[in-house]
Amino acid sequence: MNVALRSAGLLALALLALVGSLLVGGSAIAPGELLRALAHPNGGGDVATIVWQLRMPRVAIAAVAGAELAIAGALLQGLLRNPLVDSYLTGVSPGAAAAIAISVVAGVAAPALPAVGFVAGLATAMIVAAFARRGTGLDAIRLILAGVSLSALFSAVVTLVLTRAGADYAAQILSWLAGSTAGRGWHDLLFTAPYAALGVAVAAAAVPALNVLRLGEGRAAAIGVNVDRTQWTVLVASALLAASAVAVAGSIGFVGLVVPHLGRRIVGTDARALFPASALLGAALCAIADAASRSIAAPAELPIGVLLAFVGVPAFLYLYMRSERSVA
Amino acid sequence: MIALGDATIGVERRALLHGVDATIASGAFVALLGPNGVGKTTLLRTLAGTNAPFAGTIRVGDVDPHGLAPIERARRIAFVASDDAPLPGLLVRDVVASGRYPFHRWWQWGADASDDAAIAGALDAVGMRAFERRRFETLSSGERQRIWIALALAQEAPVLLLDEPTSHLDVRVAHEILALLRDQARAGRTVVCAMHDLNDAAAYADRLMLLGDERMLAFDAPERVLESATLEAAYGVRMEAVRLRSGATRVFVV
Repeated sequence: MNVALRSAGLLALALLALVGSLLVGGSAIAPGELLRALAHPNGGGDVATIVWQLRMPRVAIAAVAGAELAIAGALLQGLLRNPLVDSYLTGVSPGAAAAIAISVVAGVAAPALPAVGFVAGLATAMIVAAFARRGTGLDAIRLILAGVSLSALFSAVVTLVLTRAGADYAAQILSWLAGSTAGRGWHDLLFTAPYAALGVAVAAAAVPALNVLRLGEGRAAAIGVNVDRTQWTVLVASALLAASAVAVAGSIGFVGLVVPHLGRRIVGTDARALFPASALLGAALCAIADAASRSIAAPAELPIGVLLAFVGVPAFLYLYMRSERSVA
Repeated sequence: MIALGDATIGVERRALLHGVDATIASGAFVALLGPNGVGKTTLLRTLAGTNAPFAGTIRVGDVDPHGLAPIERARRIAFVASDDAPLPGLLVRDVVASGRYPFHRWWQWGADASDDAAIAGALDAVGMRAFERRRFETLSSGERQRIWIALALAQEAPVLLLDEPTSHLDVRVAHEILALLRDQARAGRTVVCAMHDLNDAAAYADRLMLLGDERMLAFDAPERVLESATLEAAYGVRMEAVRLRSGATRVFVV
């Protein structure tokens, strides 16, 4: 089966996941009712309100965050030619977490938290980049070391805040740490949309260079790739994408690491196919996870990040081991 | 044309070669010879513009290659490094198509007709057209070397630099690769190729550049470079040069 057909399959899967996740939740909606509500956004009634005001923004946010994290992971894995890195490497998520934990305790209003997370996430990525600088470019080993050590530091900050904060604060911080789209609305999506769009545009500009980098840094440089500039482009794009995902959906791990692996298995390593495929897979996965987080223990919510880890990690390991064996 | 003017060449802070003066004509096939560590690779990297000379001048065509933007450099100079990599997941065509990168703007993601022609031409030149859809990792090392050269040819650069392209290859494949490079020189490309086998160099190259003792010991036609005293100065081994009935010169360690 060729790459175009497989990509079309992924698009169908993503659409199915998005529509499917509108159907489930605290109160199930029949497909016919959903269609009617979708056709008449201002038609009034409970179903239209649930679909348009409650579920759709959440599903959209989950899907956008999933797509962003997946592209950010694919970017960094492509740049460092290391399948074990994701956007956590740039410190975005731990930096945002620490800033949000401190802000919650300091009494910053909840609506301002996404902005705090976004700014802190980007700032952390820039600190990591400053440590990883070598000449005009970035050193891959230093980038990993700086990212891992700063992440550890910020995790410690979060733990410290949690142990000192009162129970109410701790609950608010924890729900954010575990990743959640609960209570998110259209305005949250609007807030991050420009950054997401900018991140995707910058990522797109790095696609040809990342494809040549598959041959190795030395060869890519000989073919005319400005390796230093590509490193900065990828770092900026992945930080923008991860920070805007973290700002609206909290810490969702696993997606950025695992989805690019699945994408590579389905469409190969060509970034022209891999980035869209990763985005679709990430969107589908997070939309399904959001639906599950609303339904499994309704009316209570399960954290989306926790769900993804519980279901996704074993599934991924199984798939990966099986295909490794079949390749062998 | 490549011109070195009193060039001092080295890597990091260590100078390896001093006072190199040489002019390599367009369409020449020059073999770069000398013992391990003498600076063959560093000289190639300096000609490729990756390294700057410590002193003196380097000209490729009419420009200093080190001063060029990477993409400009890649349109003028193609460099085939000595390392090999299996590149899992890539097709032969993907590898060769990478050579078209310097001709694309950042928004151009796909190959156009001129790319297709260049890729097909490069694969034809190395005799690997039938392998276009093969996975690169399934090729033998000789086949991979041909593809690395095809990648360089797809750059359509007038200068082709190669670092030991025939090491690890069996006799037949090595000769096929050298014949291919000679054909490229005849077609007008300037070819500079670092190598170890003196007799292969004599058989295929127009001129030999022999490095040793931190300088260029000789740069001349094969029969004038392959002399016992010159070779002993370079390698520290006694060698005898024999003139064959065909007129060609071959050397043997004695």
